Amino acid sequence: MIELIQQIIDGLGRGGIYALLALGIAVIFGVMHLINFAHGELITVSAYTSYWLFASGFNWWFIAPAIIVVAVLTAVIIEFVAFRWVRGAPDFTMLMTSFGVHFLVQALFVMYVSANFRQFPRPGWIFDTWRIGDLSLEVFDLAVIAATLVTLLGTYWLLQRTMFGVSLRAAAEDFDTARLMGIRSNRVIRGAFILSGVLAGVAAIFWLMRSGQAGPTAGLNPMLKGVLAALIGGLGSLSGAVLGGITLGLVEVLLISRLPGGTAGLTDGIVFLLIALLFVFRPQGLITVRRVERV
Amino acid sequence: MQTDPLRRAIAPTLGSAFLFLLLLGGSLLYTANGDASSNSLVTQMLINAVVVLGLQIYIGNTGVLSFGHIGFGAIAGYTFAICAISPERKLRQIPNAPFGLAEIDLTPLQSGMVALTLTIIVAFVIGLALSRSGARSGAVAAVVITLALLFVVHEVARNWIDLTRGGKTGLSFSPLGNATLQGKLPIYLILIGAIALARLFKETRAGRLAQAAREDDLAARVMGIDPAVQQMIALLLSVAVVSAGSALRVFELGSINPRLFFFDYTLLTLTMLIVGGRNSVAGTLVGVLIITAGSELTRNLSGMDVPGMNWLLRDGLTDIFLGGAMLGFMILRPAGLLGDWEVDHWLYRRLRRAESPPAPSPVTTARSTSVLQAAKVTVHFGGYQALDNASLEATAGEVVGLIGPNGAGKTTLLNVITGLVRSDSGRIELDGTVLTGLSPHGIARSGLARTFQNFRLFSALSVRENIGVVHLMATRFRQSRSLPPVDTLVTQAGLWEHRDRRAAELDYGSARRLELARAAAAGPDFLLLDEPTSGMSDHESINMIDQVRSMAELIGAGVVVIDHDLNFITGICDRVYVLDQGRVIAVGTPAEISVNPAVQAAYLGTTD
Repeated sequence: MIELIQQIIDGLGRGGIYALLALGIAVIFGVMHLINFAHGELITVSAYTSYWLFASGFNWWFIAPAIIVVAVLTAVIIEFVAFRWVRGAPDFTMLMTSFGVHFLVQALFVMYVSANFRQFPRPGWIFDTWRIGDLSLEVFDLAVIAATLVTLLGTYWLLQRTMFGVSLRAAAEDFDTARLMGIRSNRVIRGAFILSGVLAGVAAIFWLMRSGQAGPTAGLNPMLKGVLAALIGGLGSLSGAVLGGITLGLVEVLLISRLPGGTAGLTDGIVFLLIALLFVFRPQGLITVRRVERV
Repeated sequence: MQTDPLRRAIAPTLGSAFLFLLLLGGSLLYTANGDASSNSLVTQMLINAVVVLGLQIYIGNTGVLSFGHIGFGAIAGYTFAICAISPERKLRQIPNAPFGLAEIDLTPLQSGMVALTLTIIVAFVIGLALSRSGARSGAVAAVVITLALLFVVHEVARNWIDLTRGGKTGLSFSPLGNATLQGKLPIYLILIGAIALARLFKETRAGRLAQAAREDDLAARVMGIDPAVQQMIALLLSVAVVSAGSALRVFELGSINPRLFFFDYTLLTLTMLIVGGRNSVAGTLVGVLIITAGSELTRNLSGMDVPGMNWLLRDGLTDIFLGGAMLGFMILRPAGLLGDWEVDHWLYRRLRRAESPPAPSPVTTARSTSVLQAAKVTVHFGGYQALDNASLEATAGEVVGLIGPNGAGKTTLLNVITGLVRSDSGRIELDGTVLTGLSPHGIARSGLARTFQNFRLFSALSVRENIGVVHLMATRFRQSRSLPPVDTLVTQAGLWEHRDRRAAELDYGSARRLELARAAAAGPDFLLLDEPTSGMSDHESINMIDQVRSMAELIGAGVVVIDHDLNFITGICDRVYVLDQGRVIAVGTPAEISVNPAVQAAYLGTTD
């Protein structure tokens, strides 16, 4: 029982990060119908930023906000350089475009930095645990859960209570009608990328605190987790993305602890397989936002 | 036109041979000086060409984006290596291999066959999963499933040490890891096979139906095409080619490790596919050539020392080139350099005889005597009742109109009849056969063909091919009907001069007529038309009356037509159903309807 509670908290800690990544992907899918396989590049850029700032003598208190700024800038630049030009293109084109961005950013880092991973110091407290009776809780998990909650509440407020949020939700619902109602598409799409940058930035802070390394492929794993979580949530649905992220985190933790020894290396493969099966049997995702095609 | 061997077989075969000879000649010229590095470059390029042709067969014809084909390649590559490596080598590398695989000793050809068989079995299972997920052009589910295959195969290859020797060292044929493939003959043979297969598949029934579904999945299904079958055929053929190419690749390199068939190779092959044009075999080969040359050039450049250019000429330039090519083409020229052009299109135009439109044939088709019944259909969308006990009956001898204000449920009724929307209750019958619950393509094959309000043509296909693919379906499933030839339908729709143009290039009126002719090509008992005159001028919609009448006469079908244009409805209909808020509020001749008070109330909003 104690073990289960511990695992759930561990899973929520993982899932919180996934939820933030998935939410960023869902926001962009909502306004552009684009699955952003380049979302992980925000993490890659953040990772190198952390590395360089550490090398210049800054500490986490400065680096954390800097990561968010850099993630937002990267998101806006990617939108401006690539995604702007394929708006409304067929799904095939958009999928390949986002993969193209993913590979190109990766290649830029290989070319101008190095193909090797570089380490930077992780904050000292991430391995601390709190003991409450028999329960030992990782401080890091609690910090992630708290930060996720605050970020999600902030996002919720933004989406529900601000003009931008209303436009964004309207555009996600029906882009063409939203435009006819006077919502400026450029602004909404740029706003969506800024929001996804902020969310990725917050996720990046915790992801990097845990990994403590920067490399050209640093963004691959978070990107996959975010995309998978968003897929579980049905892609277009914002609340679905959050639930998808948390589900993914819990499933991973449970799998790691339940899998027989020696197969733990297969966790990612098994998760991927489960999600593929989910898609075979429920192509619309776990949480349904079924859009009936009008004919 | 139905069977035009020059166009469908002879010209493509000649074209394939030409492409192969061009590649062969170029390769021999390039390697003439006997330089080992240029020799290995050409060998790798030819092998990559086989793999990319394999991708083309699936991705090009179906439009489904697969990231998993290199995963199939990994399965084939490992199977080949494990079968073909000599037992002595295997006892040293993988002594604990399961199923006694360490003792197996097969020739390369036998190993290739085993690899092919096993991979195709896996592909069949994946194909079932893909069709269960409703794969269609650009579908997300397909991307996820194929990516999962790539990842799972990679993880298994890395972790099943007993079988694959893990990720660090991999398996090798000889201690030094030398190339094991002697001579290029096997590559040439497989390459010419792959070119011919890819090119000819485009002209086969399965290929053409798959392309129609690629252009518009929904329209294909309501025309009686079941994309799942065509996609499965395309997948199996494409995986067979990829397997052959992958086995060659392993054999040529003399070793295999998990990284050999993972993301990097996926990126390389996909870029090759899209740069030249994924819908074209010639384009695929052009892409392979350009990317190979570009990669080689950037690789050489990145080692050079040119003052002032050091910021560009450094390691990693090749990856920038690949990523940049993929991104650049998607943004600037998503169809690739050649689009869907083939060498033999040019050849065919030179060789074919002058065409003349078919003489108008006297109507020979016996009128169908069918009866279409929709009985008490009810549909809810959430809390909104779209149809409320709506019934409709039409016989093949008449033209039945369906009118009503916006939101009355006209299109929904048509969607229920054609199987696109599931009704809560009620039944649809055609001559006593219950259609309720059938798939859209099943319903089309039973004898109902429709058009769409905002038309859905197979836009990249020619006018003739739009009609041709549906005709192809009809010749198999509607044999009981005598179907007019494709060219007669083209002429009837007044599109003879435009017959070789793409549907996307047609003007509005022509596109409408093409959609009507395409529906007629399905050989239906009933044509169901959703607002055939929307967006037309008065003059055009009067012409449409003749068009619909003569088309229905030509194929001997009844007509159910939705429209708003009162001139059109009164001019064409024998009987009219009036729908309002999901209910049928009146039935009668156009004259009776126009004086019906309930109808006037519904249209003009008077309540009395």
